[in-house]
Amino acid sequence: MTLRNRWVRWTSIAVLVAAVSLLAAACGGGGSKNSEGTTTTTSSGGSSQQKTFPNFRVVYDTGTDYLDPAYSYTVEGWEIMWNVYLGLLGYKHVNGPDGATIVPALAKDLPQVSSDGKTYTLTLRSGLKYSDGTAVKASDFKYAIKRDFLADSPGVGFFTNIVGADEFSKTKKGDISGITADDATGKITIKLTKPQGDFQNILATTFAAPVPQGTSSKDQSTKPIPSTGPYQIQSYSPNRQAVMIRNPNFQPTDNVPATNPDKITIKIVEDDSAALQQVINGQADYDFHPIPVDRLAEVQQKYGDQLKIYTPANTYYYFMNTRTPPFDKLAVRKAVNYAIDRNALVRLYGGLATPTENILPPTYPQYKKHSMYPLNVAKAKQLIKSAGAEGAEVTVWGSNRDTSKKPVEYLQDVLKKIGLNPKLKIIDASIYWTTIGSQSNKAQIGFADWFQDYPHPLDWFDVLLNGNRITDTHNNNYSNFDSKAVNAKIDQLKTKPSLNSDINSQWAALDNQVMQQAAWAPYVNRQFTDFFGKEVDTSCYVNHVLYQFDFSRICMK
Amino acid sequence: MATKPQQTVQESSAAFSLDTAALLAEEEHGVSITGRSPWYLAWRRLRRNYVALASLVVFLLIVIACALAPVYAHHVAKTGPNENHITENVSVAGHQKPVISQGGTFFDKKTNQLRVKAVTILSPTWWQANGRFALGADGNGRDVAVRLLYGGKNSLKVGIGSALICTLFSIILALLAGYYGGKTDWIISRFFDLIWAFPVILLAIALGSALSINGINWGPIQVSSGSLWIPTLVISYVLIPYVGRPLRGQILSLREKEFVEASIAQGASPLRVMFAEIFPNITSSVLVFFTLIIASNILTEAALSFLGAGVQPPNPSWGTLIAEGQQRITTAPWLTLVPGIAIVLTVLSLNIFGDGLRDALDPRAKVRIEH
Repeated sequence: MTLRNRWVRWTSIAVLVAAVSLLAAACGGGGSKNSEGTTTTTSSGGSSQQKTFPNFRVVYDTGTDYLDPAYSYTVEGWEIMWNVYLGLLGYKHVNGPDGATIVPALAKDLPQVSSDGKTYTLTLRSGLKYSDGTAVKASDFKYAIKRDFLADSPGVGFFTNIVGADEFSKTKKGDISGITADDATGKITIKLTKPQGDFQNILATTFAAPVPQGTSSKDQSTKPIPSTGPYQIQSYSPNRQAVMIRNPNFQPTDNVPATNPDKITIKIVEDDSAALQQVINGQADYDFHPIPVDRLAEVQQKYGDQLKIYTPANTYYYFMNTRTPPFDKLAVRKAVNYAIDRNALVRLYGGLATPTENILPPTYPQYKKHSMYPLNVAKAKQLIKSAGAEGAEVTVWGSNRDTSKKPVEYLQDVLKKIGLNPKLKIIDASIYWTTIGSQSNKAQIGFADWFQDYPHPLDWFDVLLNGNRITDTHNNNYSNFDSKAVNAKIDQLKTKPSLNSDINSQWAALDNQVMQQAAWAPYVNRQFTDFFGKEVDTSCYVNHVLYQFDFSRICMK
Repeated sequence: MATKPQQTVQESSAAFSLDTAALLAEEEHGVSITGRSPWYLAWRRLRRNYVALASLVVFLLIVIACALAPVYAHHVAKTGPNENHITENVSVAGHQKPVISQGGTFFDKKTNQLRVKAVTILSPTWWQANGRFALGADGNGRDVAVRLLYGGKNSLKVGIGSALICTLFSIILALLAGYYGGKTDWIISRFFDLIWAFPVILLAIALGSALSINGINWGPIQVSSGSLWIPTLVISYVLIPYVGRPLRGQILSLREKEFVEASIAQGASPLRVMFAEIFPNITSSVLVFFTLIIASNILTEAALSFLGAGVQPPNPSWGTLIAEGQQRITTAPWLTLVPGIAIVLTVLSLNIFGDGLRDALDPRAKVRIEH
């Protein structure tokens, strides 16, 4: 055999082996390992093969409050936890408005709702296990709701309509009579005192995610609770790092499909520029931070499709505590609304925002734009004078993140110009919401934002502006806004089982009514960025309508 | 008209002599020191140290520039340090430029994509905008030059203020420990050890962070959370042992000297002995320590403010300006560089002057601030 023939033969064998390998890889099912140490899996609903990230590296900001389903109430916390702690119900892991579709997660089916709208019946899927191997029981759901009350969770207001919950919240002893759970059959029955239009959405929040009975009611962020979702939290060191690994006991379903990265390492970085640089340098795969405004255009030009721009339903506003002077006076609250230049605030966010005076964001069908507070500093000064609030000492609260610090520094300047005597109080982002949500701190005015938990006006008005839901700790109604007329209207609209044009216009009118009383000073609805490293295949990028970027779907090039 | 001291050349003597004046004269290259005070002699040495004097001039120029911050802000820049000018336009060499451009997005029909518009934040205008925004604007549309001067004012206030407090307490504690000795010395020394045991920056961050949340509310002592007193007090507290311990050592040795014993024997009260006999003998060290510790405190303040535990926003300090500037270090490096250079110049000038002062007051002294 000549040298040439031998070369041809070896080349042919090599080509054949490569072809067979490729064919095997192409036919491989989810989870099979290939020679590169990566696995292949199928995208949700897609037929193309996607490479799995052995370790998807995320650069996160400092806004994570907790990683405990009873405590966390931030975008950062929920973006992690919706793939860790599943509720009886959940949402589709898909892009676009379809993502708001409620689907059964731990439950077999969607709930059966009685004709009077007051009884919900669900059945737990059989054979479910937590990440530690223990069985998921129907009574764990009941325990999770009780734990919310025991923990003074920011989500307790969602469950006060359950029969017996109000009493349990006061005594914190005994049971919630409105929830019955049969561990043998997995049947769960929830009785409400009155119908509630958003109750299915509430069952899909992480506050309602079952946890093993006996889990301490104290914050378990650093001692992660066993999970039911595709991932479990392996470790969490606040303000430093969280690591998510696959839950070995998770069984994928159509609604909660198999996931892509094997491991997700979330590193907390305070600085936006440093976070961006880590992704550019290849030290991380995804930047959660907003891109520094003066680098946006450059980043888009250089990295093209690695930068995604999206608009979640959100409202950025200044809260004004109606229980503390001078904001107990309507004139002062109106003065703040007149004094802030919303177009200036848009520029603070690099123009990736639209000015607003509404509570609801423009993505809502109930949104009806109102323009009752055009920029008028002279009028604001006059209102402050008429209220006798000139020189009143005001503490402006904000967190140390740029998205909060910049607008409160602006607000401080504005309040000074209209005759108040403001000083700033900047605290760490991880404790910001808990601090201003505690009545003992008497936070007067400051930065706040809201991203929808679920697409319903109740998530805005009931959670943020219903005076009956004001709590001493973990309060979400930072303005402590408590208007009998508004409370009554919210309670009335809450009983409506579905939304229609008539109900929508009533919500729009309520938006107007709240702003007539200047409960907040809303200023912008923001757009956001997701920036990915060069190894990320952005064709499998899923930006969920509620939870934003879905880590579990992302794949490797 | 003052007359210069008579300069006579004296023969140098290598032999042992009790004539300290003659010895010093030898060091002074034969210049007569007859009848001159140690302070005059020190000044004579210092004035020949041109590098130290030049450093003093640089430091004084920085102090004067920062002290004139309100004048510059009012008459030249026409804005305060915390005033936002986000939507304003500024005339730079006849061209209208936005302080912060509008930015935003647009839909590119060619690529069928959402594109972002470039955001520009006003860069240094130098003197092309009648003194406005000479060093450009920050992310809130504030004049960086004004904030730099006000920031310097705050940094120097904290640096000098904390040096004064720290030195004062260190002297008192060192005098008590050195004079009384025994249990008093043991208690004060353990107090020094306690603070010494912590790394300066870590202890300062812990105290600064804790106090900057609720301020100080100890009975009649009320300090609000955003006050400059908080970093001033924190820095002075954490640096007390670094001045107090060496002073205590000197006082312990002075306590055994004959003139102190003589004073005690004559019935002088402890206060008189401490402040009339011992203190004058440590003043040269105190003066050198004071100079060096200002530099050290300015650096500590910058570090604390950079980490958010020092001067609180929106008030600027050189440390907070660097922290704010680092966000834009790739697009606007001057935001970080200028306050950085200001810190370097101030600290360097103080250190060189401090060394010069030490050499002038007591060339044999080994006074150092080390932590």
